[in-house]
Amino acid sequence: MLPCLMRPSRFFAALLVALMALTLFLGYQDRQRARAAIPLHAVHDVLTREFGLSDLCLTTEARYTRHPAVSDDLAPFMDYPGALEYFPSGMFWAPP
Amino acid sequence: MKEFLEKHINILDYALASLWRRKGKNFSVFCVFTLVIFLLASLLFLSRSLLQTAETSLRLTPEITVQRLVAGRQESIPVAYGERIRTLFGVSKVRERVWGYKFNEITGANITIMAVPHLFLEEGHDALTEGAGWKGDEVGVALIGQGVLQDLDLGGRRSFSLFRPDLTLKPFVVSGIFAPETNILTYDLVVIPLADGRDLFGLGPEVATDLLVEVVNPLEIAIIAGKIADILPDTRVVTRPQILKTYKAVFSWRSGFAAISLLSALAAFIILAWDKASGMSPAERREISILKILGWQTPDVLMVRFWESFALALVAFAIGTILAYAHIAFFQATLFRAVMLGWSVLRPGLDLVPVVRAADLVLLFSLSVLPFLAATVIPAWRCASVATDSALRG
Repeated sequence: MLPCLMRPSRFFAALLVALMALTLFLGYQDRQRARAAIPLHAVHDVLTREFGLSDLCLTTEARYTRHPAVSDDLAPFMDYPGALEYFPSGMFWAPP
Repeated sequence: MKEFLEKHINILDYALASLWRRKGKNFSVFCVFTLVIFLLASLLFLSRSLLQTAETSLRLTPEITVQRLVAGRQESIPVAYGERIRTLFGVSKVRERVWGYKFNEITGANITIMAVPHLFLEEGHDALTEGAGWKGDEVGVALIGQGVLQDLDLGGRRSFSLFRPDLTLKPFVVSGIFAPETNILTYDLVVIPLADGRDLFGLGPEVATDLLVEVVNPLEIAIIAGKIADILPDTRVVTRPQILKTYKAVFSWRSGFAAISLLSALAAFIILAWDKASGMSPAERREISILKILGWQTPDVLMVRFWESFALALVAFAIGTILAYAHIAFFQATLFRAVMLGWSVLRPGLDLVPVVRAADLVLLFSLSVLPFLAATVIPAWRCASVATDSALRG
């Protein structure tokens, strides 16, 4: 038997309520974080407009993963005919 | 209605007690299921938040970028092309830009060098943590990102040198350092005056790496891009909507090997759940037989199995999703970062705000919980309809 005095269904309902409360709390936190990030958008706007930046600095291992938007389409495959793209970050997203 | 509810609450009680009786087996299924949902949800949330970051951070990216292609590869573009683009109706400004990469042989890092005509960021600007941009025709100055500061091991020094193609050194004085909050754009960036960029890369004044075109009416971006491609057929014209579209394709959670692997893991788990549910132990078959002798009908037995699976799947789904959120929001997607950063030497941090949409949760639920329910309830129905006496005899 379940090691508690309450009915299992009540225990289950209590667990669901607790998980729901945690979800709501995380949702609230998420809104706070999103609100805090708004002033940063204006700063990013200045940088992208002034320097003409076209890409996010997420991975710097290859030029086509650093600048997917303005790289050659063939850059990931240009080492030799039939070469496959082999950088680890390439497995995370589709090559440009 | 009250009777119906009470019946179901009683069945739920029985199902939960039954889950607890086989807690070892059920706990292991719960852990694996939670893990699969956690990984899938993490990937989904990460892709969404990266896409959101791209959309908010790159909304003022160049309206049109013009690059020259020679034999299928990008080459330097003549500055004279800019003059021809300026003649097009609707073009407000054409800026030449020189940019490229410098490889630091000591650390193995790739640094992005961006040379722009003029720049002024006043001291105390939110984009800078120290110093300011440069005024007028100043040369030999640079704005550097946090990653470059660490990679060049500058410490308290504010000067560094980079190699020209002929291996002579070109010195720079750091005029400012980008703030860590801008790492997503500037971590590996060195911004220098245009003349310095040409000197550093050994380019003549008649060429640039690419041309940035601004248009009067943003609704005409595609039309003007088409006109540029017409008058300069050896160029590739990249527009702002195309850049954002690239990011949408790149960060689509369905694309990429990682998504395929995780979906395969989910499929493997569902097959395992089906296998486990169809191969009921003699004790479970005896339990079903006893219940049927006591007057339970096949639908009642089925309902018990449904509630067992649903309770387990629901809690695994909730906990897996919450853990995935925490993984992205508080731990910067630690598990995926190793793959994402790959062999990068400069490793920008990921301060992401997870993006959770109701549609994504429904998708995740449909991809994980519904197949799990089908994989456990259907075999249970087959077992529940066995003849009672044969099951009791073993």
